[in-house]
Order: sequence, then C-alpha cells, then structure tokens
Amino acid sequence: MTTFAIVGAGQTAAVATRTLRRRGFDGRIEVIGAEPYPPYQRPPLTKEYLAGGDDDLFLLDEKWCAANDVHLRLGQRAVRVRPSEWAVELADGSQVRADKVLIATGGAARHLPGVRGDRVHYLRTLDDATKLRELISPGVRLIVIGAGFIGSEVAATAHRKGADVTVIDTLDAPMQRVLGRELGAVCAAIHRGNGVAVRLGEPVESVVEHADAVIVTTAGARLEGDYVVVGVGITPNIEVAQRSGVTVDNGVLVDEYCRTNVPNIFAAGDIANHYHPLFDELIRVEHFDNANKQAAAAANNMLGNPTIFDDPHWFWSDQYDVNIQHTGHARTWDELVIRGSVDELDFCAFYLRDGRIRAAFAVDRGADVAMAKELISGRVLVNAHHLKDESIDLSELLETEQAW
Amino acid sequence: MADWLAVAELSELSRRKKKQVEVAGEPVALFLVGSQVFALADTCIHKQRSLSKGVLLNGCVVCPGHQWEFDPATGYEATQDRYQPSYDIRVEDGTVFVSTRPRENPQELREALTAGSSTS
Repeated sequence: MTTFAIVGAGQTAAVATRTLRRRGFDGRIEVIGAEPYPPYQRPPLTKEYLAGGDDDLFLLDEKWCAANDVHLRLGQRAVRVRPSEWAVELADGSQVRADKVLIATGGAARHLPGVRGDRVHYLRTLDDATKLRELISPGVRLIVIGAGFIGSEVAATAHRKGADVTVIDTLDAPMQRVLGRELGAVCAAIHRGNGVAVRLGEPVESVVEHADAVIVTTAGARLEGDYVVVGVGITPNIEVAQRSGVTVDNGVLVDEYCRTNVPNIFAAGDIANHYHPLFDELIRVEHFDNANKQAAAAANNMLGNPTIFDDPHWFWSDQYDVNIQHTGHARTWDELVIRGSVDELDFCAFYLRDGRIRAAFAVDRGADVAMAKELISGRVLVNAHHLKDESIDLSELLETEQAW
Repeated sequence: MADWLAVAELSELSRRKKKQVEVAGEPVALFLVGSQVFALADTCIHKQRSLSKGVLLNGCVVCPGHQWEFDPATGYEATQDRYQPSYDIRVEDGTVFVSTRPRENPQELREALTAGSSTS
C-alpha cells in the first residue's frame, strides 16, 4: 500500500491530509508531530483563545483519523527523510515507511539573544498561549516587544482583558515590513486610539528580570512591567530538511508545484520558501491562508495532479474592533492609492507598480480586498483615478480594464 | 408550511446585485447571480460580519470579514463542511418573495445540485 508521510502536525498537515482523502488517495497517511497535540489552529492563540475563549481549536479528531486510516504520531520528532529507503527516521530510532513526504515543519518563535526568564514569554504554541492567558488579567503591566502581527494582536487582546499594555518596536511603524511606513502608522494610531502605548524606533537595549518586575530599557525609556511578551517573528524549522539533503535557504526551497530538489519530497506552509509565478520571486509566507492553500496544492501534486500554487496570498488580523486584511506582495511600489477614508478607518490602500496592483491593505474593507485579489491575480492594468472613485464598483475594473 | 414575504423588487438588485432585507426579525442578504435570486442569512456564521457587505465573485458570496466563500444556492462554505442558513425564493411579476423560515435540509439541496451538475 502507498504511504504518504507528513512531517509536522499543524494547519498545513491537517489540510493536506483532508485534501488527500477528498481527492481519493486510498493509501496510508502518517502525520508526525513534535508537539503532543493533534493539529490545531494557531490564529485564535493571539485572539479568542488568549482572551479566554474555549472554542475547539483542533482540526483532525481521533474518530475521523481512525475512520480514514490517518495515523497521528504525536510528541515524536522526525530526524530525517531517507528517500533511498522510503522512510522517515524518528528520534527514537524507529522508521516510518513513506513513498512520498510533505515537509510541513513550520517555524519556532525567534528568540531575542539573552532575553529569557520567568517573566518573559514567547507565543507560538498552544502551551505558550495557555501559559500566557493565565497571566493576563486586569491591571497587569504587559510590555510587548515587536509590533508585528503577533505583538499587535497580543497587545489588543491583553488590552481588552484590562491589562496595561506598552508595545515597543525597533522600526518606525507597526508591521512596517509589509505595509510600509505610511500605512504602518495607521496601525500605530489604532493602538494608541484604544489606549495602548506604542514606542517606535526604539531598539530594546536590555531586559532584566527582578523578583517582582521586569525592566525593559530602550534608548529613550526605562519601562517596568509584570511580564514581557516577545513577538519578533519565527525561525523556520529547517533541520529535518537539511539532514535529508533538501536545499534550504530561508526555509525549504520549493518550486511552484511545492517540490523540493529531492524527488518525492514536497514542502508547504510557513517552512516553504516558494517560487511564486505571479510575483516572479521566492516568497516565504507565515500565514494561515497560505498554509491552507499551499497544503491543498501540495497534496494534489503528491497525488500526481500537477497544480501550480499561485494564490496572491492573503491574511487578516482582528485587533480591537477593527478587521485588517492584506493581499498580494509588494517589496516596492511606485504609487499608493487610497479608496475610502484613512481617518475614519474605513479604507483600502492599493500598492501599485507599473500600473498594476501588487498588494492591497484594508481596514474594515474586506470586500475591496476580495476584488483586489482578483485584480492582482489577473495582472489587470488599473487606472488610479478609477480605484479611488467610490462610485465605480471595483468589479467593473475587473471587467473593463484588461491585462495586457 | 413557511409563509412567503415580499422583500424587494427585482430591479433593486440589478446594479449592486445584493441587498439586505429583514425576514422575521432577522437580517437576510439577497444576491442576484445571473438571472437567479438567492437568499442567505446576512450574519456570517463565522464571526458575525454582514454578508451583504461582501462581494459576489465567481458565483460565490465572499464574506468581508475573513473571506469565507459561500455557495449562494445552498449556503455551504467552499472548503468546510459548514453552511450559512439559506432561504427559498420566489420571484413573481418582478417582486422577490422570501420564505419566512430558513431551509431545514440544505444538505439535501446540495446533494441534489451536485448530482444534477455531474450528470449534465
């Protein structure tokens, strides 16, 4: 019988498993995960779950797995794939037979050198979130280092739970790497408008733990808190790939079919530095929707149904009462076009290069983002005046402004 | 039997292709796809955003909250086994009537539509 193994047991593994079954794969599926839990959703860990919610986070339940010949090997670390032996080697020395392997090892919270201690928390796993949510309560002084997505969402949730929150970032605006300085500033304004202190352009100089507090110093301030949460990104878990002869460069390198350089080894999700045909560059994306869509594409490719992964990428973030969404990929742009009102936090911003939308960022404008995805995927040439004009429905641009 | 309620004129849907109406005290979203009108509960089952503020794309209703994609005919989400409540619709002399109660068995409707499309 054919066996497919998935190394890693997160969102990507769950979606790949379900896709394999939905597409008629009738072999055995082995899912190998280092954490003790079956695959679970991470987005709620900074939002609903952190706030104390008890929604079910788990993605593949035991009954479904049993009925579908899916074998979860949890709390077990894969060491390497041995393609010549059709096997995955585990840390306990045992081998799992596999005809094809999907590497979906994701990443681990990036640690700031020397920043650790009982009052210092990183947030990546369910255990991390469980620990942290017990500590966040009214009046707790929380210092969040990093104003990216994790830091921003933790700040918003903790504030809502009554904590006294300060966010610090080295850069001049939250989420600056993705949004740029101008629109990152909108996110800073959202934090401040809700009563969260934000200190930008201030690299952390030291974090020192005392018996009853933790002191964070920057060039401009000395802050005292009860706890520190560090959200400075993830480090891709490349070890299994490296030991397997798979080429690694900022994650696992894959082509548009999710294939690595080693036959029968694929990769998807946070770990996959993938060639993206639409943007014509290598991209590694650490978001839920990418995990879902790339996992589905990888599963199809493992089944021998060639499927190009060229989704324009999309993510959302819910902070305070606002819904933030972003689609596309733009390292540089030559024009930023705003539809709606930034001041009223009701807008979609389009990042244009050479007359085409490369990315879009919206606050409470999910419908515009849905259209932006289509315009990006279709490589449609757009007129900035039309994008701004709210009397024009964006769907009209899709119909009238053709790709060259 | 559920009753029928006149909620809109067909002509009101021609430009924006969507409209929020109220049925038995609940917000309901009407969508015009081609020449057919569909009705789904307006409040998204996921995070309670308003579907009538979303868009129709490639025959799907896309929620503005988190881009969940619903089949306007059955209410089913594209990749999950979950559905938005849906309502029967009747159009007579240019007036749109909605059943006052959501469908009880959308899964049967989905199966019937799937069977229909695979044989055609």
